[in-house]
Formats: sequence, C-alpha cells, structure tokens
Amino acid sequence: MDQGIHIEGLSKRYGAGDTAVDALKEVNMSIAPGEVVGLVGPSGSGKTTLLKCLGAVIEPTRGRMTLGGEVIYDSAQGGWKTKDLRALRRDRIGFIFQAPYLIPFLDVTDNVALLPMLAGRANGASRARALELLQALDVDHRAKAQPSELSGGEQQRVSIARALANQPPVILADEPTAPLDSQRALAVMRILNQMASQYQTAIIVVTHDEKIIPIFKRIYHIRDGRTVEEAGEGRDIS
Amino acid sequence: MISLAGRDILHSWGKFVLTGIGLGLLIGATLTMAGVYRGMVDDAQVLLTNSGADIWVVQKDTQGPYAEASNIRDDVYRGVLGLPGVAQAANVTYLTMQVQHGARESRSMVVGFEPGQPGEPTYLVAGRRLLRGHYEAIADVKAGFRLGERIRIRRHDYEVVGLTQRTVSSGGDPMVFIPLKDAQEAQFLKDNDAIITDRARTAANPALNRPGVPGLLDAVNAAQTVNRSVNAVLVKVGAGSTAESVAQEIRRWKHLQAYTRVQMEEILVAKLIATSARQIGMFLAILTVVSAAIVAFIIYTMTLGKIREIAVLKLIGTRNRSIAGMILQQALGLGLIGFVVGKIAATLWAPAFPKYVLLESGDALRAFIVVMLVCTLASTLAIRAALKVDPAEAIGG
Repeated sequence: MDQGIHIEGLSKRYGAGDTAVDALKEVNMSIAPGEVVGLVGPSGSGKTTLLKCLGAVIEPTRGRMTLGGEVIYDSAQGGWKTKDLRALRRDRIGFIFQAPYLIPFLDVTDNVALLPMLAGRANGASRARALELLQALDVDHRAKAQPSELSGGEQQRVSIARALANQPPVILADEPTAPLDSQRALAVMRILNQMASQYQTAIIVVTHDEKIIPIFKRIYHIRDGRTVEEAGEGRDIS
Repeated sequence: MISLAGRDILHSWGKFVLTGIGLGLLIGATLTMAGVYRGMVDDAQVLLTNSGADIWVVQKDTQGPYAEASNIRDDVYRGVLGLPGVAQAANVTYLTMQVQHGARESRSMVVGFEPGQPGEPTYLVAGRRLLRGHYEAIADVKAGFRLGERIRIRRHDYEVVGLTQRTVSSGGDPMVFIPLKDAQEAQFLKDNDAIITDRARTAANPALNRPGVPGLLDAVNAAQTVNRSVNAVLVKVGAGSTAESVAQEIRRWKHLQAYTRVQMEEILVAKLIATSARQIGMFLAILTVVSAAIVAFIIYTMTLGKIREIAVLKLIGTRNRSIAGMILQQALGLGLIGFVVGKIAATLWAPAFPKYVLLESGDALRAFIVVMLVCTLASTLAIRAALKVDPAEAIGG
C-alpha cells in the first residue's frame, strides 16, 4: 500500500543502561486510507508512546514510518525526514483527544479554521473550509458559538472537524469516546467512519472502551510494547 | 491570521479589565508621585516668579531667604538702590507660621512686602490690593480664607481684602501677604513679657541707666523694641544690565550674599527639595518594581491557566513565536489598560491633594514607555513557561 500509514519495526527505548525501558518493540502497522482501526491495550502497554511517535511528538529509537506514500521517519537514514515537525503535524496529522481541548477563546469556526490559517491559507478560505466540515459534521448551526456553549457531543464533533481541517492522510484519536455515554460514543464512531470514508483518511483510534471495540474491522492489540493484529467484529453502526 | 491575544482578551475581558484597573491604580499612584515631585519643582519656580525679582540679597554666608534663615537691616536696600544697574530694590520678610481664622488654623507663609515693589502679588483673582498701611491681607485661595474674613497673625487681626492664586512657598504652603511693617512686627517683635523683662534688665544696668544722662534709658528701650530687620532685599535689574553683573557688585561692595534667579533655582530645586526628590525617587522605583512583579505574576498565572491549550496549539502546529506573541500582546494590553486607567485616575485625584500635583505630558509619555518595557520584561517569565510546554502534554498518558 502506498497511501495511508505504514510502520515497520518501530521501537522506542526510554533511558539507557540498566534503567532503560523498551516502551515499543518492533511495532508493525499498516492502515489504508479511509480505514478506521482500533489500538487496544491495557495501561502502560505502550499505546500513548506509539501515538506520540506517530504524531511526531517524540522520536522513535528505531524503525520506519511512511505517511501518505512518503517516508517521514527512517532510523536507518538519520531519523525524521523533515526538521520542521511542527509543520509535519500541522499539515499531515490530525489529532483528536480524549477531551475535545478546543481553544476556549476562539469560536467554533475559528477553532477549525485555525489549522488552515496556520498552514498559510487565507482567512476567508480557511473559514469556508471550516464551515464545510462543520456542515459535514452537522454542527454548522453552532458555527459562531463559543466552545463553552456546546454540549460534549458537539464539542467532540468540532474537534473532529479540526482534525480534518488540513485534509491529513492520518488522524490519531486518543480515546475519543472515553467521556461519552454509549449513545454518544456510537455517534462519534459513526462520524469517524463516515469521515474516514468521505475524506479518505486513515484513522487510528486508541481505546479501551468496551462499547466501541466491536465496531472496528481491524484491531491492533498492544501489550508490553508489541502489537498483534486481529480481525474485529466490524459491527455495522450506520 | 487570527489574533490569539485579542481573542483571549475578548473572551475573558472582565478578568482582564479588572486586573488592568488594579494595575492602573498602581500606575496612577506612580504617576502621582512623579506629579508630586513636578509640583514641588513648579512651586519653587512659581515662588521665584511671583517675587518678581532678578536678584535676592540676603545675609552673608547664608542661602536665604527660602532655604535658610537670613537677617539683614531694613536700610540695606537704600545702598543697593544706589548701585549701577539696579532699577528697583525692596525689603521683604518671609515667615511660615500657623494663621488663625475663626476656630481653625492653617499653615501659611506670611510675606511682608511694600506695595508697588518687588514681592507684591502679581495678580488677584478676587478683591483688591492693599490700600491701608496696616492690618490688611491678601491670601492665596488655597489657604481657605474668604474675602472680608478676619484672620489672626500673632497679636493682630487682619482683614482679607484680596485673593490670589498659585502663590505658595517651596514647601507648598499658601502665602498670606501683609504690609512689611506688620510682617516685621509679627516676625521680630518680642512678646510683652519679654519686653518688660528686657526693660527691667536695661534699667538695672548702670551703664545704660545713668542718672546724669536723662533720656538714655528711654532711647535704649525704644531701640530694643523697634526691629529693623528684614529677610531679604528683592532687586529688579534695569535695562542694559545683567543680573549676574549686578549681583557681583552687591557681593563685592555690600558684603552681602546676592543670588540670581538661576542660583536661587539651584538652591530651591537641587538643595531644598533634594531629599524629598530622592524620597519620591525611591517610591517611584519601588512602585515600578511592584508593578513589574504584579504584571509578571498576573501574566504568568494567566499563562499557567492555559497550559493545556498551549500544548494543543503547539501540537497542531502553532509556532513558538505566535504563542510568545500572544503572551507578549496580552502583557502589553494589560499595560495599556493599566496606563489609561492610571492616567485617568491620577488626573482625577490630583486636585484633591493638599500640595500641588503637576502631571506633565512628558512624564506620562515616559511612564507609558516604562510601563510597556516593564510589561515586556514581565511577560518573559510567562513566555519562558509557555515555550517549555511539551506538545506531548496534549496527548494523554
């Protein structure tokens, strides 16, 4: 697969010598555009470390990562391919957090439009893009509202719109349904599936939410820094 | 691009404005302290201008009449008038004392002057000039006297016939102008008990109470009772002469001290109010440091309250300089609000001060620059904290 995200032999070691901890050990993953996969594992298994490596927040110790057909990290060739990891995150990786973490002093539109603006797009075009996404996520009627005026579900939908704003090839979702009840959690997963398909974005959902695990068609189990791929139930929630 | 600082300020404007008002009151206090110093300098200059003199002739080896006591004979002015270049010369007395009016007292500088001569108040805001030789007074409005009111200076009552404005001593006390003779008496005349005691001593002195010289005792007693001292002679220089050259002549031939306007300003500003100026300078320095600490603390606290948002901003690709700019702009915004509030507050409360507070535009401009610099410096602590935020903090774990 050329597009999507591919990880080969990714390892991360914290510390050195006797105190060294191998948080990730030869992790392999491959997610196609438009696919939503689950990353499941107990606390301390390495989920967050993997997410941080994929999100270009911390540097892996070894391995290779390809994003949208382009190698972004290869330890055999000196590590990150770009020095500007900030731009890499901004343009090519979307983030959804456990809590929405919307910027409280920006309205809904500008929370979404901020990313294209940071990427250098004109304010008008950025806001048009934001409105298009808010419409797709059915929160365009709250476009001028402040984040504090939104319900939890609406906030999460706005954070999904923000993650999609720069059309990244991959979105990393860190327990996006954790604070939500079953109905809202399923609604969020429905939206993620729909957006992945509509925008051909690969989405990795880190979770230990039992309610949504049956939804994934593919699941990566992570334990002691190693991943095991297995087929999921792929329950239809459309 | 969106102004993150502007949006944040608008979002929490209530907190921001209240903080700005608090800071503004502190800046207002700082501006007022500077105004108090300016007022003291201005009072000193007004004092010299109101005297209408080019030269102050005082007792030798003194820096009188304002900074030190000076005592010269009241006929000195005749000799001064005879010097080339002198257009006018007149005696004056200055005495700071408690003046009674009704049941109240107010601290004033009582000035003895001769009508039509240097030392007379230059303009009146109400009433008339002195027409009688005794027991009339012109007072500065700040003394709180009304026209027609009777005030008591030493043992005599005076009627306030005129009011003037901005005539104060270098210490800010309002002036009360009375005829020279009355002022000499008020300043130098002994009380009745002292006169009786002196007369008794003189009478007991065989050298002064000789039976063979009738009238000697009376003459000595009369000489002791009448005082012929003044504090200074004010001199106006005629056309074609310079104050310095005339002052040199007076110093050389009259064995008196003569100060020109420049020298008198030096005495008043550099010497008389120097300690007060240093005191105010210390206050200004402390207030500036306190303001800086407050701005630093507020901006730092505000930034710490946004650590998660800053981590998210960094994670999604916001440049460090945009985040630093946001904090800096907020600090400057706070400084701007503080300055505006401070300037308005100082302007409003300055007239209520008992001493003259002069708020100069130049000082306000300098204060504005200092506030902006202080805010910039104060924001560095918060910027440092924000730049140290790891974008990974936005991701759980």
